[in-house]
Amino acid sequence: MSVKYIPVQWNSNKWKYNAVMLSAVFAYLWIFIELTPDIMQNEGRINSQVHNARAFGSCAFFMLTVILCIGPLARLDERFLPLLYNRRHFGVIAAAIGVTHAFYIINWYFAFSKSNKYEALLFANTSYGQLAGFPFEIFGVFSLTCMLLLAVTSHDFWLKFLTPRIWKNVHYLIYAAYISVVAHVSFGILQDQQDNRLTIAIIISALAVAVLHVLAAFKERKTGDVAAKTLDNNLVRVCDVSEMIDGYAKVIKLENGERVAVYLQKDKLSAISNACAHQNGPLGEGKIIDCLVTCPWHGFQYNVKDGSSPAPFTEKVPTYNLHLDGDTVFVDPKANPPGTYVEPVAINP
Amino acid sequence: MNIAEIIFLLIKSWTLIGALVALVFLTVGIDRIDEDAQGAYAFRPLLIPACLLIWPLIIWRWFVLETGRDQWPKRHKPPRESHFWVAIAFAVAIPVIMLLGFSQKQEWPADFKPQKISSEQEQSQ
Repeated sequence: MSVKYIPVQWNSNKWKYNAVMLSAVFAYLWIFIELTPDIMQNEGRINSQVHNARAFGSCAFFMLTVILCIGPLARLDERFLPLLYNRRHFGVIAAAIGVTHAFYIINWYFAFSKSNKYEALLFANTSYGQLAGFPFEIFGVFSLTCMLLLAVTSHDFWLKFLTPRIWKNVHYLIYAAYISVVAHVSFGILQDQQDNRLTIAIIISALAVAVLHVLAAFKERKTGDVAAKTLDNNLVRVCDVSEMIDGYAKVIKLENGERVAVYLQKDKLSAISNACAHQNGPLGEGKIIDCLVTCPWHGFQYNVKDGSSPAPFTEKVPTYNLHLDGDTVFVDPKANPPGTYVEPVAINP
Repeated sequence: MNIAEIIFLLIKSWTLIGALVALVFLTVGIDRIDEDAQGAYAFRPLLIPACLLIWPLIIWRWFVLETGRDQWPKRHKPPRESHFWVAIAFAVAIPVIMLLGFSQKQEWPADFKPQKISSEQEQSQ
């Protein structure tokens, strides 16, 4: 949340998040390289260059696994939301670890011929027509390319410039990257793995990612992802006032797919878009304090009366007009431009 | 020129164009389309790698913003419609790929003794 862009926005929570993450990364690499040198040892001894490559490669795999678990965990249980807060830094570090793995591999397996070592990576094995001996390196190249693309577009400028919708569509590549890295591991190191400990850890990790995504998807579907019908009076019924809790929102999905967060605050109703201007986080899951709702993902705040962030911040979300008929709350599905003030509707006029 | 060389030539050309786009966009364009970037320079070098990779997307978005074609409602409509099926497809793909990988694994018999399968080399006189 900034007025002018800066290279990296830091606060105490981000320092703590990164300190824990980097400590875990260093601990993993130290344990892998120094304490358990035989964990990926095959029948034949491997040299330190290859061992380091495997340490960084497996570290990148487990980091990517954790990154992909955070999203569904946060949807299943909001106590995991703090892990979501600085996930982009996590992704950038994972990409850096992946690049280190790639350099160890290229500078060992492809560096001792007259050919360009990067070109050799592509033509050393061209058995693309068969599963046995498939050139698994290409899966790693694809995953690393995706991770680098996500890392280099992680600055908030790109979110605003590309729009959250395009940015999120680009960042869906994380799923393709993970599937590709699972293929890279399955057709690569696991083909030659003699020690089952790491094999089991990799299988459990990958299956955990799969199961968590299925559970979160079904939970989201179960908790009402059905669009509300627009009535003859061109309004959409939200709920009865008696169903609302002071300081919190009722979220309704419109027929056009947009979601509206309708808040009750001190006997007055206001409605804004459910999608935060930053990363389209669910504003309807935030609580109002002094007219400001805080996005549960990254802490962006908006005044629910006009959808604007408090000065000096400049983010804005659309607002909606509300109507009250007896105890029933209706919303006009036509959104007002971001930042438009709408007089709150009193429930006890 | 082999296919690998052609691929690397294309990559080099792509990033070279990206570097030119970065030069123009980060010195001229960015100030015209984002008021939060005006007077902010320290963060711009961080944007260069993305310019090298996604320069066609940057040119398109720059054009959209310059010509006032940006549609604000789209900014507040996250791509959630496909979430469910993306998650299911993703979850199915992971075990399928692992099974495919393990199906190719060749177990070496524990009691295998090396055997010479090629004929004896011809002895030189």
